[in-house]
Amino acid sequence: MRNQLSRLVLIACAVILAVYSLWPTYQDYRYRKALESLTGQDSIAYFEQNEGDIATAKEKRVKLGLDLQGGMRVVLEVDLLQLIDDLAKNEDDNFRRMIGEVRNEAMRADIPIIPVFAKKFQDGGIRLSRFYRNIRDDDATIISWLESEAEKAVDRAIEIVRNRVDQYRVSEPNIQKQGARRIIVELPGVKDENEVRQLLQGTAKLEFRMMKDPDISFRVLESIDKFLTGRTTDTLAAREKKAEKPEEKPKDALTELLGGTQQPAPTDTSQETKVLREHPFLSYLRFDQRSGEAFVRDKDRDRIIRLLTRADIQNTLPPDFEYLWSAKTLTFADGYKYYTLFPLKKAPELTGGVIIDARASVNPEDNRPVVNMEMNSEGAREWSRVTGANIGKRVAIVLDNGVFSAPTIIGKIPGGHSQITGIDSPNEARLLEIVLRAGALPAPVAIIEQRSVGPSLGEDSVRSGLSASLIAFAFTVLFMVLYYSKAGIVADIALLFNMLFLLGVMAGFKATLTLPGIAGIVLTIGMAVDANVLINERIREELITGKTLRAAVDAGYVKAFSAIFDSNITTFLTGLILYQFGTGPVQGFALTLMIGIVASMFSAIIITRVTFNLMMDRGLQPSFG
Amino acid sequence: MRFFKKTNIDFLSIRRRWYMVSGAVILAGMISLSVKGIDYGIDFRGGTEVLFSFSRKLEVAEIRGALTTVGLGNSEIKSYGTEGNMLVRTTEQAEGNVVGDKIRLAIQQSFPDVRFEVLKEYRIWPKIGAELRRDALYAIIASLVAILLYIAIRFQFSYGVGAVLALFHDVLVTLGIISILDGLIPVNLEITQEVIAAFLTLVGVSVNDTVVVFDRIRENIKIYRSLSLAEVMNRSLNDTLSRTIITNGSILLVLVILLLFGGDSTRGFAFALTIGQITGTYSSIYIASAVVLDSSLRKKKPAQA
Repeated sequence: MRNQLSRLVLIACAVILAVYSLWPTYQDYRYRKALESLTGQDSIAYFEQNEGDIATAKEKRVKLGLDLQGGMRVVLEVDLLQLIDDLAKNEDDNFRRMIGEVRNEAMRADIPIIPVFAKKFQDGGIRLSRFYRNIRDDDATIISWLESEAEKAVDRAIEIVRNRVDQYRVSEPNIQKQGARRIIVELPGVKDENEVRQLLQGTAKLEFRMMKDPDISFRVLESIDKFLTGRTTDTLAAREKKAEKPEEKPKDALTELLGGTQQPAPTDTSQETKVLREHPFLSYLRFDQRSGEAFVRDKDRDRIIRLLTRADIQNTLPPDFEYLWSAKTLTFADGYKYYTLFPLKKAPELTGGVIIDARASVNPEDNRPVVNMEMNSEGAREWSRVTGANIGKRVAIVLDNGVFSAPTIIGKIPGGHSQITGIDSPNEARLLEIVLRAGALPAPVAIIEQRSVGPSLGEDSVRSGLSASLIAFAFTVLFMVLYYSKAGIVADIALLFNMLFLLGVMAGFKATLTLPGIAGIVLTIGMAVDANVLINERIREELITGKTLRAAVDAGYVKAFSAIFDSNITTFLTGLILYQFGTGPVQGFALTLMIGIVASMFSAIIITRVTFNLMMDRGLQPSFG
Repeated sequence: MRFFKKTNIDFLSIRRRWYMVSGAVILAGMISLSVKGIDYGIDFRGGTEVLFSFSRKLEVAEIRGALTTVGLGNSEIKSYGTEGNMLVRTTEQAEGNVVGDKIRLAIQQSFPDVRFEVLKEYRIWPKIGAELRRDALYAIIASLVAILLYIAIRFQFSYGVGAVLALFHDVLVTLGIISILDGLIPVNLEITQEVIAAFLTLVGVSVNDTVVVFDRIRENIKIYRSLSLAEVMNRSLNDTLSRTIITNGSILLVLVILLLFGGDSTRGFAFALTIGQITGTYSSIYIASAVVLDSSLRKKKPAQA
């Protein structure tokens, strides 16, 4: 009896966990349906009210793979040959010829580039140190240095890609390192392959730009605000423009903000709308008067971008003034994520080409993370001038138009050796190191695989997958009942729990559901009944030998266990190996298979046992056909 | 309801006959493989592949004509799936998306009256194909070794060998049948990553079945001490017959459902699994158990589990 109770508790816990994991998916579905049924103003109001919940649901729901959603999947690989080429100095014709030869060989077969490259040099009797690092370094040192550079190049490439993809505003992008040299980029819903390819290739642009003073920044923000409400167009730029062309009434800012679809009723006097009307721009920003930075909620970023990129608003900005966004978000005390808007000089003081090296480190005096930066002689000279003229001001480090950091200039830096302080965490220092090197050193990547699936194919796949699953489930349920009668119903209940646990675990692991994954679910439905069949057949045999019902059930479970265990372990092993072998969709299949096996064992052994015991306790005789 | 009362079929006495049948089927498959080969998908060969859906039916010849105008006349063109979608595949390699763009442009220019939709577009470097082949081989070998070891430990070495031979048989037969039927049935039998996964899966599912039989043999050997190994095995096969038919039947059922209703994208995968399931059931009896029996007879000692 005690056994029974603990089993029931176990089952209850499992069910609660599964439902808890799956709840966000259900919520997300409900919210989407609700938003679709409302229109315009109502829909926006609904969205604002439930925003936090909608975001959490979206984050925690079961995600669909690209083969079900549509979108693009790209695999990038560090172009080792290009990297070796870029890292070399004093190249001569000989060098270029050798590179060319290795490139030809690499096209024809899958050769390990760095060893082959090194061997060519060795065969030619040339030391690698002629083209790399110090003359004193031997070949082995240089080879291992090249290998580590290749790995670091991947990290740089990942950061660059992540930065750019984020600016491209793809929803739920997935960027992952694969192995030592590859990056997988998944962009759901993206269709324009050419744009995406531009996104992923091309050298990164690193710039150092001075930040504008806080009061200038505030005045600019205010003037945008006033411009939008039509109160005054009295900015310097606008006065000049007024002389040139007739004044246009600025579009209703609210219309702009709401995506141009809805106007609130003229009689709408709610407080929020009033504030929105009076400060259509400022009300979305939190302004820091000390630093001149403005903070925008991540949900509002798109609106502000749309406003800032409008031609008429661009005209209100002073010359040599540009707003750039931070690359990463900050989480404030209210729990929301904010992007920072930096007011910067348009023309950069320095570009990335002048940086020789950057290294994350720790200041021995106060144990805080710092980044040490080294520039070449030309850069050092400029940097000395810039820092000397701007003591106390802030300089933004910008990579591909994303601001990563804006440290304050404490003093003139003459030798090109700078140390960036005021960094919050070692991770931030590491990121800054990657960013600085990204602008300086190349991280050349080649696209080795590109798959794009259209949304209609995705929808078809979802539909077929779903119908196959339901049909398989229906047939199996029917068959179990027909063949094993009441015991069959018990098996069906177990199957139901099995599916619940399978989906719950997948949601819990934030696994992605792919089409092969759905096939895995269908297969699990077929295989799940095996344990039940083994148990039921055993019970039937025991009943024939004349045992009582209870004794037969007990014996059935005991004897069937070894078969269930051994057979499932072997299949599980195969699933494990399949997971290692496959990528993307195939891994999705392996995962559903493995989880399905574990869930089916749990359901078949524990849930059915509990159910049988419950039935027998209440005097209901489960029949075994 | 039950399908079987206590049966007493002597499975193993006719095993030699079945060895020959298996041998013949595998041979036929191997011949087909060497003569006809199999359809390596783009995953293995590299290149570009575009799947079109057209507003009116276009013939292969028409499409080929269009492609010739951009120098891609020797691409592979065939119908894909059940809805008249057409697949264009070429191993041409070029920078960026040039090949894909060329294909689309050619179709657009040659058939200005036809509306088309690109359902999917893949572009793979040839290097990936070589890796995939290597990884697939490693994965299959790793599975077989893992299974051999596990079964050898839980049962006995000869059982492990029997099981692995059965799996090997299943993979070869399925591969052979895919080769033979390629082009003869309206199912896309190209070898993709998913199909390789299907092979690994059928290894996993088939061994499941074999282990259940072995488990019963292990149990019965202890009970029926006076019977010969062949008799114990037959007894075990008969005992598990009911379960074998039902479980394998239900797995086959869901696989056929997947095959029919799962959509074009999974059809090749489902087909491989279906064939594998059928041979898997057969091989548990006539390869796995038969081999264990024969190896023990040769050693002239009872194979205790």
